[in-house]
Amino acid sequence: MTGPFPLPYNTLVVAGGMAAVGCAAGVVGCLGVLRRRSLAADAASHATLAGVALALAATGRRELPVLLAGGLLTAIGSLVVLVMLRRFTRTREDAATAIVLGVSFGLGITLLSGMTARGIPGSAGLEQFLLGQTAALTAADAMLLGCLSVAAVTLVWVGLKEVVLVAFDAPFAAASGWPVFAIDTALVALLAVMVVVGLPAAGAVLVTALLVIPPSAARQWTDRVATMLVLSGAFGLTAALVGVAISAAVPRLATGPVMVLAAAAIFAASFFLAPKRGVWARWRQQRELQQEWSRAGRDPTQAPTKAAGRSGP
Amino acid sequence: MNILNLLGGLAGMHLWAIATAAVVAAGCAVVGTLLVVRRMSLLGDAISHAVLPGIVVAVLLGGRPGGLWVLVGAVVAALLTVWLTQVLHEGVGMSEDAGAGVVFTTLFALGVVLITLAASRIDLDPSCVLYGILELVPFDTLLLGGVEVPRAFLTAGLVFLCLLGGVTLLWKEFLASAFDPAAAAAAGLPVAGLTTGLLAATALATVAGFEAVGAILVVAMLVVPAAAAELLVHRLHLVMGVAIALGVLGGIVGYLAAWQFNTSAAGMIAVVLGIEYALAVLFAPGHGILARAWAAAGLAWRVACEDRLAVQWRAEEGGERAAEAGVLNRLVCLWLRVSGRIAADGRLLPLGQTEAMLIVRSHRLWEAWLGRHAELPLDHLHPPAEWIEHHLGSEVRRRIAADVGQPAGDPHGRTIPPEG
Repeated sequence: MTGPFPLPYNTLVVAGGMAAVGCAAGVVGCLGVLRRRSLAADAASHATLAGVALALAATGRRELPVLLAGGLLTAIGSLVVLVMLRRFTRTREDAATAIVLGVSFGLGITLLSGMTARGIPGSAGLEQFLLGQTAALTAADAMLLGCLSVAAVTLVWVGLKEVVLVAFDAPFAAASGWPVFAIDTALVALLAVMVVVGLPAAGAVLVTALLVIPPSAARQWTDRVATMLVLSGAFGLTAALVGVAISAAVPRLATGPVMVLAAAAIFAASFFLAPKRGVWARWRQQRELQQEWSRAGRDPTQAPTKAAGRSGP
Repeated sequence: MNILNLLGGLAGMHLWAIATAAVVAAGCAVVGTLLVVRRMSLLGDAISHAVLPGIVVAVLLGGRPGGLWVLVGAVVAALLTVWLTQVLHEGVGMSEDAGAGVVFTTLFALGVVLITLAASRIDLDPSCVLYGILELVPFDTLLLGGVEVPRAFLTAGLVFLCLLGGVTLLWKEFLASAFDPAAAAAAGLPVAGLTTGLLAATALATVAGFEAVGAILVVAMLVVPAAAAELLVHRLHLVMGVAIALGVLGGIVGYLAAWQFNTSAAGMIAVVLGIEYALAVLFAPGHGILARAWAAAGLAWRVACEDRLAVQWRAEEGGERAAEAGVLNRLVCLWLRVSGRIAADGRLLPLGQTEAMLIVRSHRLWEAWLGRHAELPLDHLHPPAEWIEHHLGSEVRRRIAADVGQPAGDPHGRTIPPEG
C-alpha cells in the first residue's frame, strides 16, 4: 500500500496492462471480423495450449514470455495446417476449422495432463491458461503484454488502409496490384499474436470472444471503420477492466468468463439501443412509418417492414 | 485370490470406460456426418460450448448429471444458441461466424461463471467441463439386472440408439436435404424441421459425451471421424458407417494410449482421431495425397518414356543416335531396354518402333491441324503438340487426319508416319 492510490502497485499495473490488452483485442478484432477470420482465430487460440505445454517441457522455465512464445508457435502452426487442409484436401473450410480446433486442443490437454501426472515442475498451474487468471500475473508480465498490445494497435494504424481494402473488396485490391495474400497473411499473423497476448487474461477457450464481441458491438453503432475501431477498443478496454476487477473480488472466479460476460453485456446494450440499427430504433422507425401511412389513408399493416441500416457485414 | 479379483475389477473398470468412450464416439459420428455434409460443422462447435449453461441450470434446479432434465436443458441451450445466431444474422446482418462467435462464447462464459459461483451446491468442476473425466465414469453406476453399469454408459448408449433410430427412420429425408436443401424444400420436405431436429440431436450427442470427454473435445468427436470418412468413401450411408467405425476405434485406441502414457483420455482420443484424419488425408484412395502423387508420378513416367521413344525415332529418321543424359533419361532407357522396346545400343526394336511411330504421328498430325485451323506461326506449333501427343488415341488421330485431308507431311515439311 504505497503511493497515492488505494490499491497495491502490482494490482494497478496488471489492471493497466489488461486494459491495454482488451483495447488492442477490440481494435485488432475489428479487422478479423471485417475479413471474416474470427473462427480461424478461434482454432488458433485452442492450439496455443499445446505450445504453452511444449514450451515448459522444452525449456523447463515457467516464465510468461517463454510460454507465450511457445503458444504463438503452435497458433501459427495451426493456421498453416488450416491453409494446407483447404489447399490439399477435399475437406470443407468449416470442418477443417473444427478439426484443427478439436485436435490441437486435445493435444494440449494430453500434454498438460501428462506433464502434471509426471510432476514436471510448474505444470500444475498451467490450467490457468484454459480460462485465464490475471491474479497470477506479475507487474513485469503485465507490462510486457501492455507493450505488445500498444505495438499491435500501432501496426493496425499503420496498415489500416491496406487491410480495409482487402477486407471489403479482395478481388478489387488484387486487380489494383495490392499483394492480397501478403496482407491477409499479415492480418492473420496479427490475430494470432493478439490471441497469444490475450491468453493469460481470457484463456485459450474464450480469448476469441475478446476479438469478436467488442467489434460486433461497435458495428451496431457506426458504418465507419475508424469509428468502429475506436469504439471497439473502448468496449474491449471496459470489458477487460470489469473482468479483472470482478475476478479479483470473487475467489476462484477465472478472469476470462467475466471479461466475456462484460463484453456480452455491452453487446446486448448496443444490440437494443444503438441508433439506426438497434432493435428499439428500428421499432420506432417502423411505428413512425405506419403512422405516416395511416395519415396518408393507407393500410398501416401494409407498410414496408425493412428498416434502414440493415445491410452490410 | 483377492489380488486376482482386484485385477479383474480394474480391468472391468477400464472396459466400462472404453465402452463408454466408444458409444459416445459412435453417437457423435452419426450426428457429425450429417453436420459435416451439410457444412454445419461450426454449429456443432458452437453447440458443444453452449450446452454448458443449460446443463448447469438444469443441475441447479435439481436435475442429476446425466439425467433426463440435463438432456432437456442442453437441448434448450443448443436451440437458443442457434436461434440467437439466426437473429443476429438476419436481424442486424452480422456474418454468421461472428454471430455464432458472440453467442457461444457468451453462453459458455455464463456456464463457467455459474459453476464457479455455485461450486458449493453443484458437483461440476470447470476443468471437467473442458476435458471430461472418462477415468471416473466407472465409479458412478446403476444396478441393472444384477450388473453394475456406469450411468454415463447408459445415457450415451440410449442417446446413440435414439440417434441411430431417428436417422434410420428419416434417412431419405436427411439424404435429400443433406446435399441440396433448396431442392429438398421445393420437393415438399420439411427442411427447417429436419435442421432443427439435427441441431437437437447434436445437443443430445454433446451432452451424452459431456461427462466423458468434456465440452470442447466433443467437437473433435463430432467432426473429425466424419471428415475422415468423407475422404475415404462417397455414399452417405458408407460415410456414416466408416465415421462410426473410426470414432469407436479412436475411442478405444485413445483410451489405451492415455492409460499407457498416463495422461488425459479425452485429450488422447482427440489426438488419435486427428491421426486417423491425417492418415486418411495421406492414404485415401483416389483423392489422398499419396494416391494423387502416385498418379502424377505415373503420368510423368509414361510421358518421359514416350518422349524418349519419340526422340530416338526422330534421330533414326535423320540417321543419328540420340544421346542419353541425365538420371531420369538413363532410368527411362534402362526400363525401355528391359521391356524390349530398344536394343542395347539404343536403337528401336519393333515394339518401340510401333509405339514411337504413334507418338510422332499424333504430334505431327496435331501440328498439321493447328497449322490449318488455329493459324499459328510455325514456331508456335511444337509446344502444344509436344504436350498433347501423349493423350491422343487412334480414333482421335483418324478424325484429325480426315479433317486435315490425310496429309503426307506436317507444316514443317516432315513426313507423318502411318498408323502402324
